[in-house]
Amino acid sequence: MANALSSMDGVNAEVSERTSGTNPRNVVSVDCASENWRQLAECLRVEHGVDYCSMITGIHWPEGGAEKNWEVVYHFMRMGISNPPVVEGMVQPIITDPSTVEGADVPLEIEVRIALPETRDPKVASVQDIWVGADWNEKETWDLVGIDFEGHVGMRRVLQPHETPAGFHPLQKQHKLRYHDFEEMYDDAQGFLRKPSDAGKIK
Amino acid sequence: MDGDGQNYSVFNSRMLVDTVGDITDDALKASRIKDVIGVLVGRVFNWSQRKSLFPLHLGIKCCALEMAAAGASRFDAERFGVFFRSSPRQCDVLLVNGPISKKFADPIVRLWEQMPEPKWCIAMGECAISGGPYFQSYNILEGVDTVIPVDVYIPGCPPRPEALIDGFDKLRQKIIRIGASPDDGAPESKNPIIVGDD
Amino acid sequence: MAEMWISMGPQHPMTHGLWTLKIKVDGETVVDTEPDLGYIHRGVEKICEARDFTQITTYCDRLCYASANTWSHSYIYAVEDLLEVEVPERAEYIRLIAVELQRIASHLMWLGAYGPDIGNLSVMVWCLREREMMMDLLQELGGSRMHYNFPRVGGVKRDLPHGFAQRARAKVSLFLNRIQEYEALFDESTIFLIRTQGVGYSKAEEMVNHGVTGPNLRAGGVNYDVRTSHPYSVYSELDWEVPVERPSVKGADCYDRYRIRVEEMRVSAMMVLEALDKIPRGADTYHEPGDPAIIAKAPSRAPEGTSGSHHFEDSRGESMFYLAGGGEARGKNPYRVSIRSPMFITIPYASKCMVGYKVADIPAIMGSFDPCIGETDR
Repeated sequence: MANALSSMDGVNAEVSERTSGTNPRNVVSVDCASENWRQLAECLRVEHGVDYCSMITGIHWPEGGAEKNWEVVYHFMRMGISNPPVVEGMVQPIITDPSTVEGADVPLEIEVRIALPETRDPKVASVQDIWVGADWNEKETWDLVGIDFEGHVGMRRVLQPHETPAGFHPLQKQHKLRYHDFEEMYDDAQGFLRKPSDAGKIK
Repeated sequence: MDGDGQNYSVFNSRMLVDTVGDITDDALKASRIKDVIGVLVGRVFNWSQRKSLFPLHLGIKCCALEMAAAGASRFDAERFGVFFRSSPRQCDVLLVNGPISKKFADPIVRLWEQMPEPKWCIAMGECAISGGPYFQSYNILEGVDTVIPVDVYIPGCPPRPEALIDGFDKLRQKIIRIGASPDDGAPESKNPIIVGDD
Repeated sequence: MAEMWISMGPQHPMTHGLWTLKIKVDGETVVDTEPDLGYIHRGVEKICEARDFTQITTYCDRLCYASANTWSHSYIYAVEDLLEVEVPERAEYIRLIAVELQRIASHLMWLGAYGPDIGNLSVMVWCLREREMMMDLLQELGGSRMHYNFPRVGGVKRDLPHGFAQRARAKVSLFLNRIQEYEALFDESTIFLIRTQGVGYSKAEEMVNHGVTGPNLRAGGVNYDVRTSHPYSVYSELDWEVPVERPSVKGADCYDRYRIRVEEMRVSAMMVLEALDKIPRGADTYHEPGDPAIIAKAPSRAPEGTSGSHHFEDSRGESMFYLAGGGEARGKNPYRVSIRSPMFITIPYASKCMVGYKVADIPAIMGSFDPCIGETDR
């Protein structure tokens, strides 16, 4: 199986052989520093044909030390299928048996981890223009975890209400699951007492 | 016709309508005819209200699929007069079948306010009753009864369609007890009913 | 003509779930769209950090409620990757039967909701009647009509009940005959064909770039199915072929997406019949819950620094769970549960597909992508 990604400067890449039941599963795990992320992303897209951004996860490790206080984990895949042939105006599906393909056509999972140091506003370069699938994933990561993506156009809250107070990112570990106590209700960190944006209007 | 298009001829005046209405009302009350008409008409209205409950076409979460199954061929709810309507202005019953998030709290109150009286609310499923498995969540209200008055609670996660039909049956019994509108009737009619509580 | 934004608001009979689709219309033509999600955001990812590995399965059922089994199995495979557990083969077969039955039920729910979107109300009661059949089978397996909490870390909670194989074979064979009725109902209906063909084109390259997977992508001609490309469970031991459509050059339209789901229902039904034949120790033997043939011993704590993830072919695409283990500080709870929902990615893409069509095409296009908002707003 192809594992030519190991030769990249500034990153540590390795192929981990995992199994899912009795089936082999090869995942390329890449550890990257946040300065090299943009360059690595372009390299993945252009040279290795990684065409599908699956998931972006943000994790807050408050007890992870100064080095790894925040972590962004990207999952990509290389579909291994491109340019399907067109016959008589109809696109023909590519029926490939994954055990017979080799080289750059192998469907592959790639996991990239970026560890960010301890900071109040973690930032990572955005890959919104490289993979469109990263767009909403980045919005959700910012919305829930608080990791900002530099260069992202149109960052907004997607899962929480639009009027959520700025700076409230619930998946950070210092936030409780739900604020119930007496004195916290007046601060209303989670906005339960907030009036909706069209209060007082005739409905 | 004058400037803003209202026809101010004396036969259309609001004052005339009000005066005639008051005189007729006093006459009917004095001769007790109003009471008799009220009882007869009230019974007919009550019968028709409880036999044709129109819930709103609102599907929030999983219980909505059981609501759909209750309307489908095996547990046909339409034979009970229950027919789902899409517009809240045409509905009697707001069937809340999922957790209410902070973002949806305002729309659901708006839907409730858009429904004309008499109206009832059924909280279906654990999420609508108390927040359900998400009662500890930062985004979910602990039950729809924090924002809307609920008449019938149907427990279950999700409740079976038979339980939903039983809930409609309990609502019918409540309508018999409380009369034509929820503001009339005995004080204990304000207590909500919990399905399975007998 | 002036352009205006219309909000197909949270309460709408055609939107298959609770979300707002704001459309900018110029007359009757859609010019721009903006989906607005989050109306049932429950914060499942945060809640899961305070729950056991086994308790989280109940939350995963409720993520996408139309296909509950696929989501709980998707989570369980990720947990088994995190804890490095080997699952016995009989349990894998039972899981496959549960997942494929659930896939049939999910597609039936979709078809039963899509028909009324187009205007064909009779197919709703037909499909829900078949779905009741599948839900009876799933109720025998899992105990409840909708949220089964069926898999356990290392296996399944219960074996196939007595007589299940016989009932399953009868019902699935009956279902295979009934699929032809649905196809006849739709393919001979001119209105359905006019409303779905030539509407809502979606190109394969755009879909891959956006991250759309599952039946929507296979309708575009790309033969990508997680069950064959990254095989898991015992799919490689069954004899089946991934259903793929052959769309036109302009892309896949709503009719292609409808056809692919009907084909998927057929393929799933055949897989269930085959799995019942091939299950080790036969489909009629019964093991008590806890027997090592159906569940393996699993550690209940994840060491610090480990992580597990797993791709899974959900009814709507590729779903993935990423779990980070937290070591002793977290006890039996994971440190972070991250959920990848296929519909979260597909809905913005589907909203872009609507641009250029009429307002009346919106239910057809939106319905054909099979949105399920439960998994979108986690």
